[in-house]
Amino acid sequence: MRLGPHRLSGMVAPMVVWALHFVVVYSVQGLACAHGWQRTTFAGHAAVTWWLLLLTAASLAGAAAFGVRGWRAWREARAGIGSGASADARFRRFTAGIAAVLSLIAVVAICFTAIPILLLQTCT
Amino acid sequence: MSTAPASLDAGVHEARLRELDEVWGTKPGLRGQLTAVNHTTVGLRFIVTGFAFMLVGGLLSMFIRLQLAWFDSEVLDPQRYAEFVTMHGTTMMFLFAVPIMEGFAIYLIPKMLGARDLPFPRLSAFGYWCYLFGGLFLYSSFLFDAVPDAGWFMYVPLSDATWSPGLNADFWLIGVTFAEVAAVVAAVEMIVAILITRAPGMDLRRIPLFAWAMLVTAFMIAFGFPPLILASILLEIQRAFDFAFFEVARGGDPLLWQHLFWLFGHPEVYIIFLPAAGVVSMIIPTFARRPIVGYSWIVLAQVAVGFLSFGLWVHHMFAVGIPLLALALFSAASMAVAIPMGIQVFAWIATLWSGRPWLRVPMLYLVGFFFVFVLGGLTGVMLAMMPFNWQVHDTHFVVAHLHYVLIGGLMFPLFAGLYYWLPLASGRTPSETLSRTAFWLVFIGFNLAFLPMHLTGMLGMPRRVYTYSEEMGVHWLNLLSTAAGFVLAIGIVAILVDVALSFRHGPRTARNPWNGGTLEWAIPFPVPLYNFASVPVVGDRDPLWQRPEIADASARADGMLGEVRDGQREILCTGLLSGEPEQVVRISNSTWLPLLAALSLAALLTCFIAKAYAVAAVMLVPLLGLLGAWAWTSGHRHAPTHLDVTADLRLPTQYAARNAPGWWALVVSLLIDGSLFASLVFSYFYLWLGADAWPPAGIATGSWGPQLLALGVLGVAAGAVQFAMRAVRRDARATAITAWLLAAVAGLAFVAVHGWALWVPVGPPQAHAYASVVWTLAGFHAVHVLVAVLFATFLAARVHRGYASAARPLDARVAAGLWRYTVGQGLVAWAVVHLFPRFA
Repeated sequence: MRLGPHRLSGMVAPMVVWALHFVVVYSVQGLACAHGWQRTTFAGHAAVTWWLLLLTAASLAGAAAFGVRGWRAWREARAGIGSGASADARFRRFTAGIAAVLSLIAVVAICFTAIPILLLQTCT
Repeated sequence: MSTAPASLDAGVHEARLRELDEVWGTKPGLRGQLTAVNHTTVGLRFIVTGFAFMLVGGLLSMFIRLQLAWFDSEVLDPQRYAEFVTMHGTTMMFLFAVPIMEGFAIYLIPKMLGARDLPFPRLSAFGYWCYLFGGLFLYSSFLFDAVPDAGWFMYVPLSDATWSPGLNADFWLIGVTFAEVAAVVAAVEMIVAILITRAPGMDLRRIPLFAWAMLVTAFMIAFGFPPLILASILLEIQRAFDFAFFEVARGGDPLLWQHLFWLFGHPEVYIIFLPAAGVVSMIIPTFARRPIVGYSWIVLAQVAVGFLSFGLWVHHMFAVGIPLLALALFSAASMAVAIPMGIQVFAWIATLWSGRPWLRVPMLYLVGFFFVFVLGGLTGVMLAMMPFNWQVHDTHFVVAHLHYVLIGGLMFPLFAGLYYWLPLASGRTPSETLSRTAFWLVFIGFNLAFLPMHLTGMLGMPRRVYTYSEEMGVHWLNLLSTAAGFVLAIGIVAILVDVALSFRHGPRTARNPWNGGTLEWAIPFPVPLYNFASVPVVGDRDPLWQRPEIADASARADGMLGEVRDGQREILCTGLLSGEPEQVVRISNSTWLPLLAALSLAALLTCFIAKAYAVAAVMLVPLLGLLGAWAWTSGHRHAPTHLDVTADLRLPTQYAARNAPGWWALVVSLLIDGSLFASLVFSYFYLWLGADAWPPAGIATGSWGPQLLALGVLGVAAGAVQFAMRAVRRDARATAITAWLLAAVAGLAFVAVHGWALWVPVGPPQAHAYASVVWTLAGFHAVHVLVAVLFATFLAARVHRGYASAARPLDARVAAGLWRYTVGQGLVAWAVVHLFPRFA
């Protein structure tokens, strides 16, 4: 499936990243508590906390990458308005703008999810 | 009736309009009503039925309020109280809130998109009958003194066979699931309609915001409803056949029900709210008399809400003993969802701020909406905080919050929408005095009824309990709530009377009385059942403001699809992103099939609840027969592959087009089915997580031989389908027929072999939750294989009779798509059932 910023799938891709991050974090947390993984520690924290943070970093990078691409496409489209293919440029500015801002919302939402990982123990 | 255009002779023009009326019209009399499938009729039926159920649900709440009016009331005994609370919640959520918005969407979406009808008229008619029969089925429990009484959330173990031995819970599980069919088919209908039946020129950034809201909502239904449908099926199987999903003694887990229920239940709140927000986004520009501010922002906020609302379900389960971190994840998401909600509210305020607001009755309701909904949202954020939540959990504070959200977020916009679009349906406006009085009754009654509940809740008054103690000191507040509740009820009755009266006595109005900018206002009154004599072409977000002449142009029969051919109803489909014309789609005329199919389903479910399982199985025959007739009449041996839209535009029909609605319907249906399957796989792993041993003692994983054989047979079926598809594309009829039949035989063989491969090691499904869930997974997949087998046989017949061919490959593409999905699902199910326990 192509995920360009001018396709519906590409526009919602950053939110899909948020959803995947959320589901995986919640599942790993559940698995960790059921199997006692939180007892393994690394650098003062449960190893599973590090894993969750690593996952968060990867998800943030993914959502941000979509955002940067959307932002670039938006600027490109904006530059095209006023030229010969103005209608097309306006359409592309709309789709790219949505992709870019949704990425921003996804980044904020992923950070929201990550805050409790930093603040709380995994299984209390 | 419009004047004849210069390009057409007046007589020809009149004849064209007459022919359009004839082909799209409903036949006279009862027969015509029962066979009607067009969206205007079906939509109005949903709306009227929805309000009828609202009145019944409201009546129940009056009894509840009477019982709670004083601490020692004896209006309802505890059993009746539990029944009325359950039925009130169930009715309002499943038989009012969701269906009424579907009704608005079914009625309005094609008109807003510049389409003549929805792409699958029979499906919406079928959905309506399922909704009506499901609702009546649920209420028939009063006749048998078996009214559901376990709460609208039906928590186990309260609702299992031990604690609810009667039929009460069965009426709920079967009735609600039956009615939910309507929501699911409406989701398919809406997604396909909004993606590909928009007027030419209506690209993504010109879609009316109500349609955007419905698109997001429909996707949310596609992912949100399956968990509840699955949970209902599992619980019904457990009650009927003694399976063990939720029973702790046999390895089950009651919390699984709560997860599945709230996986549906929280998105449900937004499934109800988003369309209402869409209504708000349509009304505000009209009454601010300027285009909406921040269109793109509203669209992206709707999409973001659609996603984020799925990360909230555990906040209904804060008090069940889940680890803190897990709770905090949901608490965080509950707060994050306030961001996109806020974006929408600010866009609305900005539009009003920069416009010239006109305070007519629909706007008055929106003012009420802002006030009530914002309060409900604020208590929502309070409830998202765990420490606070624990204090007020299961108290009337939550009752106050949810009514502020639902009445504020749904009812106020709904009444605004009702008054806004009423002139479209009635050609008249309601009485300004009566409608304003009704508004104030509703607004004051509502706030006085529910505001005190915040206090009674914080003082500790529990919800769902038929009484409270005098020492709590909340009886005066409760008396106030009850009195105000009756004021609210009078207000709502006044609204309905006002609306009913306006159909007869309201002042007549010209077309577009509010000067709205979207296409539904281009339609003349009385609304012709084909909506537009010529499909309109749009070049703006508010087409009527940009080019008012579009109204007259679309009422003339000299444009796109202005001429009726072969007595067929034709709609135009356009590109998903661009809105460029792509294909002509022929849709169904009036037919008995939806009603008969829904009746057979009702008969089947009635036999099931009566425990006449053999008769229920026999009832599958007429149901499958009718669905077969439905599928068979979806095409024609001599159906054209291309048709003229105008003199210089010729397009493929759906039988030949790549983006055919049927193909999209398959994709969306499989998405919904995939979500159902994913919920089942989730249940499997959830049960595994809580189990000591997997499989438990006494159950084996079995030997590889039969399991691999089953997989091999499924592979043969997959190969045969690929081969059949290639043969259809080459027009090699004999080969195609043989290959489809081979796929069917291989499918049947798979079901037999796999059943045997499981029976030997696993034994009966009642033994343990492991056996229950494994058999259910295998059975779920087997049902899919059997459906695919029917499709393969159907295709063999279709190819034989010349319906499916290289020129008209749609049928074959759909069948092959279903097979590929079924095989893929089989691989996952096989790996879960046979590989996972070996390596877990």
